[in-house]
Amino acid sequence: MCDSLSHASYSATFSSLASKTSVSPPPLFPPSFKVPTFSPLTVKPLSSTFTPHAARVTTITTYAATSPSSVPSDASTTTFHGLCYVVGDNIDTDQIIPAEYLTLVPSNPAEYEKLGSYALIGLPSSYATRFIEPNEIKTKYSIVIGGANFGCGSSREHAPVALGAAGAKAVVAESYARIFFRNSVATGEVYPLESEVRICEECRTGDMVTIELGESRLINHNTGKEYKLKPIGDAGPVIEAGGIFAYARKTGMIPPQSK
Amino acid sequence: MASSVGFPHPTSSLFYNKEDLSLSAFPSTSQLSIYKCKKPISKNILMVMAPQQAERKPATTGSVKTPMTMTEKILARASEKPHLRPGDNVWVNVDVFMTNDISGPGSIDIFNKEFGENAKVWDREKIVVIPDHYIFTNDERANRNVDILREFSMEQNIKYFYDIKDRSNFKANPDYKGVCHIALAQEGHCRPGEVLLGTDSHTCTAGAFGQFATGIGNTEAGFVLGTGKLLLKVPPTLRFVMDGEMPDYLLAKDLILQIIGEISVAGATYKSMEFVGTTIESLSMEERMTLCNMVIEAGGKNGVVSADSTTFKYLEDKTSLPYEPVYSDAEASFLSEFRFDISKLEPLVAKPHSPDNRALARECKDIKIDRVYIGSCTGGKTEDFLAAAKVFLASGKKVKVPTFLVPATQKVWLDIYTLTVPGSGGKTCSQIFKEAGCDTPASPSCAACMGGPKDTYARMNEAQVCVSTTNRNFPGRMGHKEGQIYLASPYTAAASALAGYVTDPREFLY
Repeated sequence: MCDSLSHASYSATFSSLASKTSVSPPPLFPPSFKVPTFSPLTVKPLSSTFTPHAARVTTITTYAATSPSSVPSDASTTTFHGLCYVVGDNIDTDQIIPAEYLTLVPSNPAEYEKLGSYALIGLPSSYATRFIEPNEIKTKYSIVIGGANFGCGSSREHAPVALGAAGAKAVVAESYARIFFRNSVATGEVYPLESEVRICEECRTGDMVTIELGESRLINHNTGKEYKLKPIGDAGPVIEAGGIFAYARKTGMIPPQSK
Repeated sequence: MASSVGFPHPTSSLFYNKEDLSLSAFPSTSQLSIYKCKKPISKNILMVMAPQQAERKPATTGSVKTPMTMTEKILARASEKPHLRPGDNVWVNVDVFMTNDISGPGSIDIFNKEFGENAKVWDREKIVVIPDHYIFTNDERANRNVDILREFSMEQNIKYFYDIKDRSNFKANPDYKGVCHIALAQEGHCRPGEVLLGTDSHTCTAGAFGQFATGIGNTEAGFVLGTGKLLLKVPPTLRFVMDGEMPDYLLAKDLILQIIGEISVAGATYKSMEFVGTTIESLSMEERMTLCNMVIEAGGKNGVVSADSTTFKYLEDKTSLPYEPVYSDAEASFLSEFRFDISKLEPLVAKPHSPDNRALARECKDIKIDRVYIGSCTGGKTEDFLAAAKVFLASGKKVKVPTFLVPATQKVWLDIYTLTVPGSGGKTCSQIFKEAGCDTPASPSCAACMGGPKDTYARMNEAQVCVSTTNRNFPGRMGHKEGQIYLASPYTAAASALAGYVTDPREFLY
């Protein structure tokens, strides 16, 4: 039976882990931890039909010239490069993805794309430049820069999913609401990065920026200014693994996928 | 369960705000500055904030136990650990998992993809499936989502699935309940000391029962469905002390609006909010639910109220499952303590467009309004309608603007039509509402609290001004992006409906 099998092996995994740790607790993140261990070839976090997610794991470096199959050999070479879209404080989930679109189910590939097309559509009209142009379904801004308490409000996972589906790779905010942050990490849809200062006041929508994850740095090419980011820390491996499931499999919390 | 406790303590935090949550690192100064920089504080001291407490001593070994807060105790028991401290990451056993129609389908998909198409849920009796958000609509996707819940519930033989098939008549569906958080309470799924997770941010409502209850997203929900566990980080606790007799023009909604206005929409981020004091003890279960419901609006992880005789009485006829309440130790450490002098509080509103945009209702009396909405998990319970009826009864006049009434559940709907309002000579709420010119109470669901599909009842499709007993007023929340929503208690909402302006209920209650 699938149920007893998965349940039993889950319990077994826990107790085998327990016996290991009676000697000395092995760190969950060995220093030699590297990104390529999590290429979709070895760990399939989601069904292979769910291509947008799989693509995210491999094509982290987004320079147009880079071939999509190249996998960074080291987390420290992960970079994002693109236009940024700047928003203010307390951007709540109703602005990120208004409730009327919540009938779209994120795990359905066609509806995933549709969700993306509505990302940030709830921003008031005072935002003259929209995140996604009318008649477009993807955004040209791969980085969203926000203020305090980004993602506050609902627990809807549609929020980070919409941003990711639209083409955003990372959010750099002054601070996050916890459920949004957690959902971003669990899904692996966008990197939720934190800035040390209010970058949202010094960047303009349309500025070209580069984020170097390894250096914890954001560079605004239009202003020439550099900003220190708070290190992604232990949320990084979870996102790089492809989310909570892949991470849980890698660390032995749950058994490998049976299919 | 065979799953052992000997799990290696994570060397560092996962998923969460990367700042180490040792208490000394906690930004108390920013809290103080929020307090100081607000608009001029009235000379009457409404609130005193205690200085941040010293860092807790490390746990000692042996039989001496480290004092813990209620939240810490609940999570300790759920993770089978003798004691926990804020910042600890632990795998927690889930007692009840809830999902609804907008987040269920995604969660189910993830469960199936990750655990296999033939996988079984961890416990068919611990999952409660409650369609409630987009029910009475012709939107095909919305209807399909309820079908998905049904298919899953049948496949998995889910014990608690509150189904609806006949959308034209909610009463024709004996299993259908309505708003998930109220249904959970009414059906006896909320019990002291337990861990309740739900795919909705207002799952924190259940903290009113002295349990740990919080909202999670689809992916984590899929994980819980398969394993019955989740990795959670123990939050530090903020303590809110409210003592004194509750004035008869105030409701729990005013109390929580006061708090959120004080600490801001991020004031409780990653923290637990514990509500204590004689005022809290005097609140009914529904009022405690209103209080805990809006914990998320302050960014809170969860809210708790100690279980007491009020709780036990409420639960008597609702659940036969055993439960064991836990209580904060006397020497437990709290991050901060806030004290309120209830006698000095007045009816409040949260002005557009943030739940922390607090103002006195009486100072907004020049705000002309277009409509009033009384409903939702926050303000659509039986006692909320009784409160509104009290104001209409006291006035005897008719409302000046369309007043929408949406009972949260079938039971609430029934109460509106059967319970008599004290002092009315035997009239039911429904009669009083009718005499006041309110709209007929609608089918129970979340309805327009969060807008919804375009044909949702009472959705704000034009830029209007609305006083609402709901929980959020961000731009576009009830539909139209330029809509202006004033969050208020049922007393204030009813008073405003009568006046056609934002109105302090004392105008009618005296």
